[in-house]
Formats: sequence, structure tokens, C-alpha cells
Amino acid sequence: MTDAKVEKKVTKRDLVSVFWRTILGLQMGWNYEKMQGLGYCFAIMPILKKLYKSKEEMTRALKLHLQFFNTTPAMAHLIVGADIAMEEEYGLANEDTISGIKTGLMGPFAGIGDTVFVAIYRTIVFSVASYMALQGNVIGALIPVIPAIAIWWVRYEFTIIGYEQGRRIAVGFANQLKQLTEGAAILGLTVIGGLAPAVVKANVPLVFKSGEVELKVQDMLNNIMPSMVPMAIVLLSYWLLGRKGFNSTKLIIFLLVLGVVLYNLKILG
Amino acid sequence: MEIAFWQILFLTVYAFVAQLDALSLQISLGNPLMAGFVTGLIMGNIPMGLTVGATLQLMVLGVATYGGATVPDFMSAAVIGTAFAIISGQDVEFAIGIALPIGLLLTQLDILARLSNTYFQHRADRYAEDGNADGVARMNLMGIIPWGLSRAIPVFLGLYFGSEVVKAITAYLPQWLMGGLKVAGGILPAMGVAILMRYLPLKKFYPFMIIGFVLAAYLKVSLIGIALIGFAVAAAYLFLKNELKPQTEGGDIDD
Repeated sequence: MTDAKVEKKVTKRDLVSVFWRTILGLQMGWNYEKMQGLGYCFAIMPILKKLYKSKEEMTRALKLHLQFFNTTPAMAHLIVGADIAMEEEYGLANEDTISGIKTGLMGPFAGIGDTVFVAIYRTIVFSVASYMALQGNVIGALIPVIPAIAIWWVRYEFTIIGYEQGRRIAVGFANQLKQLTEGAAILGLTVIGGLAPAVVKANVPLVFKSGEVELKVQDMLNNIMPSMVPMAIVLLSYWLLGRKGFNSTKLIIFLLVLGVVLYNLKILG
Repeated sequence: MEIAFWQILFLTVYAFVAQLDALSLQISLGNPLMAGFVTGLIMGNIPMGLTVGATLQLMVLGVATYGGATVPDFMSAAVIGTAFAIISGQDVEFAIGIALPIGLLLTQLDILARLSNTYFQHRADRYAEDGNADGVARMNLMGIIPWGLSRAIPVFLGLYFGSEVVKAITAYLPQWLMGGLKVAGGILPAMGVAILMRYLPLKKFYPFMIIGFVLAAYLKVSLIGIALIGFAVAAAYLFLKNELKPQTEGGDIDD
């Protein structure tokens, strides 16, 4: 097994190829049975073809990589990189280790990845972009393309880091990312705090009249705290989402009904 | 106005491509914001597209597919909603009112696409038995078809058959409902904000949210300004945390 190792070397070109295949193909075959399993096998294919020349080996490798897999797409690069490093060195000798690393990392990595690359990323990019678009600025619709391409670069680096660090990424890199996640969460929450008053529109047209004195309820509320009604609706939604069996679909219906009811009671308009 | 066949065709192809982008390159074609903008561009009313797209985008800010969960398809909904509003000469609130139920309904097609791909997974499993690597790779690419069609078909059918229906409905829609939908469109972005609050470590870091709120509500700072302040605050937090670390390192590590 060791004598053939020289010709089995993984090149930079292979890594670039796997990087693109992971971006383009990881989720194309997404299905309820193995989720990204089919996509993962597709992504790592150039390496399998390079390392495993016999039909028996290829069959084993394909079956190994068609197994259940699911994580944040951006984080998959670290795992596939580490996987390549292991298979380059040991081949399929440690099939259980490969399988273990893949399934062991995909969960915790998804935890970090969903927070950083999905929740926080979307909060920052799309709240700023939508805010601009609402003001009629076309740039708002186009601006998300720029950070999206920056993410490609991050994903490329992840492939290389995964490959170079191999199995060690399980410990070291995840710890580094944890700090980054904290910082990103702070940034995300600051933006969210500003988002409610900026984008939730709830105007109270109620006016109380007693003789000559007119009392506008909205002005009164503004004196207590600006954006009080939008914030109250956000907090109500937040509380509702925390209740058992309540999900975003129910919240949409609830807010639709609430809007229609409050409009007809002339509380909002 | 009437919708031309080339417009229907273009938007159908866009929906197909946008979904594939959302799964792969993610240059944001698959987001409601871009979908609204592109539809506005094709239908000749960009401001409408931008507003509809942005409003829907804010609503679904926190609604993303975590771990493969199916979420309402507001990309296709933004296309159909924007197009209908322009065809029937209605306003933004009308577009949102149309888009919401459509987005919820299309959840089913997302599930169908993910289900259809199971067939390709089984075919791939069989190719794997024979060591046929190219066969396995081909099966992954076959997933493009269910994924793309799950968005392209509803957009095509909706635009092709739906516009007359929508015109008829709008003629009879009562004011209490139209006005109500308008108010609902204003408060619906609260959902996106609330979902994000659920997802981020709010209990630990809530003071930072108050900072953001005060900046926007009292000081009227724009969101870009708030993002910059948030960045500075986050950097300062990490800096101070690392500076203070050596003193606590002697004790037990509670990290």
C-alpha cells in the first residue's frame, strides 16, 4: 500500500476542484434520506478517482461517502478538506475514523456555521440591503452580491485549512471560531436592535378630543418612548415564537389577522 | 397592463436559476429582495419590485433553512406578487397580500423536490455497488431538475393562468381587507426580527440590542451606521476579553 503513495499525491488543482464541486454540488442531490450525502460524494469525487484505482476500492469509497451527511455548506469545506488529508495518508484503512470525523464534526460545525454564515450573515447583509431598497435605492438589491463572493474566498480557505490541519481541526479551529461567533453575535444583535424601529411600521391614528383639546395618541407614545408600538409587536412575536407548537407560519397568519383587526378598530393605520 | 409571453418565460427561467443559486453559489439571486427587483425590472416598475422584495426579505430575515428544514418559498412568491401588482395596477400592500399565501403554499413543492431527490439517491446507491463513480456523480446533478422545477413551474403557471383571476379578485376586494393588509404589511417585518432574536444569544448579549434600538429610535442613526457601531463594540468586547484573560487563567477554565 505504501509503495504506490508517491503517485497518489493530492495536488492543489485537486483541492480547487473539490472546492468548486462542494460549492456547486453539495446540495443539488439533497434528499430526506441522506441529506447532503449524495452531494458530499459528488464533491470529493476527484480525490476518490485519484486514490482508488480498483473497482473494489472505489465501491467501498463511494458507499462510505454516500452516507448521511448534513452541515452548513460553508463549514463542509473544512470537513471535506480534513477528509482528503486522512484518505491521502491512510486510504480506506481507517474507514471508521473517516466516518467518525465526518459525522462527529458535522453537528458542532453546523452549530457554529448556522449562527455565523446563516443567521448573523443574513441579519447584517440583508437588513442593510433591504433598508436601502425600501428607500428606492437599486444598489440595495445588488449589494448582497459582494459579501456573497467574499464568502467564496472564505470557503476556499476553509478547504485548504481543513486539508493542511487534517484531523486536528476538530479541536483547534473550532475554538477560534467560537470567539469569532461571539463577536459576530454582538454585531448581529446590535443591528437587530436598530432593525425594529427602522422597518416595522405601526402608526397609531387615534385622536382623543375633549372640547378644544386634541390629544394625539401617537405623539403621546413618542414622548414615552419612540418606536414603542413596533417594539411591542416584535417582543410579542418573540414571545409567541417561544411557545410550544408556535412556528413562523402561524406567526405570519397571526400578524396578518392582527393587522386587519387593528386597522378596522382604527388603532393602527 | 398585460403580461407578455417573453416576460413570463424570462421570470420562469429566473426562478429556476435562482433556486439553483440559493443551493450553490449563493450570490443572492434566490432571495426575495433580488426576486422582487428582477421582476420589477422585467415588468417595467423597479420601485415596486424593490419595495415588495425588501418587505418580504425583512419578513424572512430569520427564516432560513437550518439543517434542511423546509421554509416558505418567498422567492417565487416575490416574483408572482410583484408581477400581479404591476399587471393589475395595484400597490405594494396588494403585492405582499398576494405573495404571503403563495409563499406558504409553495412550501409543499420544496418538500416534493427534496422527496424526489431520494430517487436519485437510491439510483446512486446502486451505481456505488458497481463502483461506477460517474454514475453517482450524474445522480447528484439530476437533483437540479426537481429543484429548479419546484420554483419554475409555479411561477410559470401562476403568471400564465393567474393574471385574469387576480384582476377579477381585485375588482371585488373590500376596503376593510385592503386597508387591513396594508397595516399587516407594515408589522410583518417584526417576524424576521423576532426569529433572529430567537436564534442569536439574546439572553447573554441583550444589552447590545438595546444599544442598537436607542441608536435607531432616539438618535435616528441609519442601519449602516448602526452596523459600524456594532462592529466597533464587538471588536472592543473581544479585545477587552482577551486583555483580561491572563488574570483569570490561573483558576479553573470555565470556557
